[in-house]
Amino acid sequence: MAEGEQMLEGFLCSICKTDLKTPHQLTKHFEEYHNDNPEILKTLKELYGKAKKKILKHEGSSEELVTLDTSLKYRESSLDFYYNDWEPQELGETRSYTRYFTEVRNVRLERYSAETNKLIIRLDKLLNELPSDPISRRVHEQSIVPWIDDKSVKLCPTCARSFHVARRKHHCRLCGAVMCHDCTMFLALGDARNMVNPTLVQDDSAISPTSTESRISGRFVRAGIGLSKLARSPSSGSLNSIISLVNDPSRSEQHFRLCVHCEELLRFREQLKERKLSKPIICQFYEKMRSYIDEANEHSVMYNKMCESLRKGETTYNLQDAQTLRVKIAKLAENIDLISKRISILGIKDVDNPPKGQTLKLQQMIRSAATTFLKEHLLNSKPLPTEEEYTAFKERRRKAIEDRIEHERQMEMEELQRERRREQQNREALISDFVIVSRNDQMILDKSQGWGPSSATPILASSMDPIIEQMNNLRAYIKQARDAHKYDEVATLETNLRELQSAYFAMNQGNSSDS
Amino acid sequence: MNVFSALKLYITKMTEESGPGMKVLLMDKQTTSIVSNVYSKSEILQKEVYLFERIDSGAQPEGLRHLKCIVFLRPTAENISLLCRELRCPKYGVYYIYFSNIIAKADIKTLAESDEQEVVREVHEFYADYLALNPHLFSLGINVCVQDLRWIPTHLQRTAQGIISVLLSLRKCPFIRYQGGSDMSKILAEKIRETFSKESNLFDFRQELNPLLLIVDRRDDPVTPLLNQWTYQAMVHELLTINNNRVDLSHVNGISKELAEVVLSAEHDEFYAQNLYLNFGEIGQMIKTLMDDFQKKSKKNQKLESIADIKNFVEMYPQFKKISGTVSKHVTVVGELSSLVGKHNLLEVSELEQELSCQSEHSTQLQKIKKLINDSRVRDVDATRLVMLYALHYEKHSNNDITGLLDMLKKKGVPATYTKLVYSILEYSGVHARQSNLFNHEGVSKITKKLFMGLSGVDNIYTQHKPLLVETLDDLLKGRLSTQTFPYLGNMVMSKRPQEIIVFIVGGATYEESLAVNNWNKQNPGTKIILGGTTIHNFQTFTEEIQSATNSITRRYRSRNN
Repeated sequence: MAEGEQMLEGFLCSICKTDLKTPHQLTKHFEEYHNDNPEILKTLKELYGKAKKKILKHEGSSEELVTLDTSLKYRESSLDFYYNDWEPQELGETRSYTRYFTEVRNVRLERYSAETNKLIIRLDKLLNELPSDPISRRVHEQSIVPWIDDKSVKLCPTCARSFHVARRKHHCRLCGAVMCHDCTMFLALGDARNMVNPTLVQDDSAISPTSTESRISGRFVRAGIGLSKLARSPSSGSLNSIISLVNDPSRSEQHFRLCVHCEELLRFREQLKERKLSKPIICQFYEKMRSYIDEANEHSVMYNKMCESLRKGETTYNLQDAQTLRVKIAKLAENIDLISKRISILGIKDVDNPPKGQTLKLQQMIRSAATTFLKEHLLNSKPLPTEEEYTAFKERRRKAIEDRIEHERQMEMEELQRERRREQQNREALISDFVIVSRNDQMILDKSQGWGPSSATPILASSMDPIIEQMNNLRAYIKQARDAHKYDEVATLETNLRELQSAYFAMNQGNSSDS
Repeated sequence: MNVFSALKLYITKMTEESGPGMKVLLMDKQTTSIVSNVYSKSEILQKEVYLFERIDSGAQPEGLRHLKCIVFLRPTAENISLLCRELRCPKYGVYYIYFSNIIAKADIKTLAESDEQEVVREVHEFYADYLALNPHLFSLGINVCVQDLRWIPTHLQRTAQGIISVLLSLRKCPFIRYQGGSDMSKILAEKIRETFSKESNLFDFRQELNPLLLIVDRRDDPVTPLLNQWTYQAMVHELLTINNNRVDLSHVNGISKELAEVVLSAEHDEFYAQNLYLNFGEIGQMIKTLMDDFQKKSKKNQKLESIADIKNFVEMYPQFKKISGTVSKHVTVVGELSSLVGKHNLLEVSELEQELSCQSEHSTQLQKIKKLINDSRVRDVDATRLVMLYALHYEKHSNNDITGLLDMLKKKGVPATYTKLVYSILEYSGVHARQSNLFNHEGVSKITKKLFMGLSGVDNIYTQHKPLLVETLDDLLKGRLSTQTFPYLGNMVMSKRPQEIIVFIVGGATYEESLAVNNWNKQNPGTKIILGGTTIHNFQTFTEEIQSATNSITRRYRSRNN
């Protein structure tokens, strides 16, 4: 054994050689840090089981284990008492009616949708090779939708007024029913094409979302108002039709005449479509803000963890990493602040139509929620220790650990001595105990040789060595993980790297001694 | 068994089930107070709920299609029809509907038929149909539930629904015991059992801890709500009135605008949570340490000489601001309380109240009452409550001088609404209406205890009175509660000791009883008790209840003068 090598004993971890002072904690340590190796854990547990059984035969030595257990329990219960004395409440009973609701709704909506689909199919057929000549167009229209014989209709079925010279009969091009002029609407051909072929619709709907309502209703032109000049299309043998033919043959080509019912169904469908596509500008801002908030949340959890660990003087994380993360969080906070500010003044400049009522309130509330979020989660985060402080922390921790080890060792020694004195007969058991400890020692000493700063500069001679390749891979991963701010992974990867390095070193040592 | 978190869990679930996105919460009047009791505004904002709408507000339709709407309503006929209208022309993009109680299937059908635009995503029953004030205390917010000593039918319905929802939110299907002499308790118990049998599949819980629902009647203990209180929460309620965790201070002279209404919620105010149940004297002490602490902090903040100081200040500022808000709030409240105490000689009044409720010394007490009635500092309400307590205590005393005291009250200029109360309370819960012996149960142990308490500290004089409920619970847990005075509903009798008890007081609970239950829970970790009432009474609201209860019944008691 090399000189100057410190003899290590106690409850040592065979992998990272830290002293864990009690069997309980050593097991825990294994579970936490080296759980990738279940076999070791298992053997460890078995060893303890045996050792414990033997130790427990001596009355005196069992004391420590018991007190440890009870002290742990005591701490838990006092914690509970501190928080509150109510056990956690689970979510109460609930009952869902969603299924029943949709069943009822579907039955009802199916009627509508069947009707609407019929209209859309008809509209498609009407538009397909629509003749521009009025007379052949009418033939085309009638070939697709049979018109009701207008002689059988005495009153307008919608407004129940009688037809005469001034109130003429008109046919709906989609259902073929007869209405008076006031009860029909015109659907522009362009709009009709858009309805049938939805790919054409999307172009403008995303841009002007605020006025969707007006746009949809604008598509259907009330026959009586805007386009009163439109003549009724030629019906058989009437004088009017001939005149209209002569006067403006092109007019009626731009529109379909629909009855109010068909128009309603179509409009309804359009509204649904709009609703699915509508996404006002505030949503885009908002989504952006939320994504920042989520990111910031994630980072700040990580940051707090790192901060805590650094303040304890642990070396799991890197101080620099924590600093960059802090900067990153600050940047995110700035972004959130900026976007929420922009949301709050959205549309204020629009003099004619400034946001009011709920819209305005919504914007203000989003802003205030964002500021509270910033205040509570990001600005409140603890500052990092400076370099000097950190080294001080590290020093203190090292001291604390050493003290603890010292104390523990002393306790152990005393314990052993006491035991040795008191229990002569059970020497057997003690010997086996030593076996455990010494076995542990053996393992650790092997490894501890390889673990040191010298291994940080691995020999690159045999670059084809799979272990070196592996190590290089790991380094690349660490870099990636660091860039992605996944510091937990950095920590685990770094321990992996260290392990590999030590293994490699040990192997090299073995080789060199062989040769 | 924590009603507060039970409600909170429901509401959290509502906000989360709809996924990310801007949300609006659509509520009715009652659900608004249910939510505001457990969730603060800033807290719910973090759940992406930015707007709060009332379904009955009749607001102009304004297209906010990009919002998700969480609907949380009581299943009343009015709400259903309003919601139907809303669904026909929806203002928001999608709807997640939650009813706070059991809803008829027919109503679901009506709603489904109104949803022509397919905007509804979810429909659920979430049983959050009561106001949770503390983890162990709930109320239904019905100040007056009784008329002519009978249930007001709508309030009976509401009360039964409220208790059902408490049970469902805690997943309990308890045995029921009720106050034997009280018709109202019996009717309520039967109404609840009716729902049990109708909705048996809902109430199919595994029962391990023997839950029990105990329904008692306020009429059996009229004394507790009459007394002045000295613990923080109870005192604030008695003197300033807590309404949905809010205290209105706008009447206080020279109050600043942000303190005109303060929120006292144990969930969001650490100081309040810690001192809720402390005595007034202790509160003064706590306020002083709070102030000192604050001053130390603010002094530290004042010297901003170096960059480090400034940096420190910026980092501490949000916390600092929070503390300063808490400090000014509690200083104002406690200041107002202590000024009221001094101005109206409440210490002396309260001492006599406690004596009246716990000791029997007729002639000396009569003299003291007379003296206090003549004291100009004593308020009308306090003079009245002394006479009411006297009347209750010495109703059957051969030499009682209720009429004489009444004359004195009239001479003092106490309004007739108050003087009438003296006979009304006898009507409401005189000896004929009470099952238990409120005043003459002084066992030897009690007297010695009292002596001991009297010696141990001055402020205990003001908290000698123990509500009758304590005794009832004690009997119940020791298995001594007679099945005659508190029969089981139906033929079932519980063989085991109950470990979870839900006490409901018909006619309103008080914060004094809440304190007693809280202490009980602390001292007996094995059992959990939850207290509920149609409302949480103070003297003011209790008198309203009495007036309504005795308004037009034939009078058993008449004052001899009229």
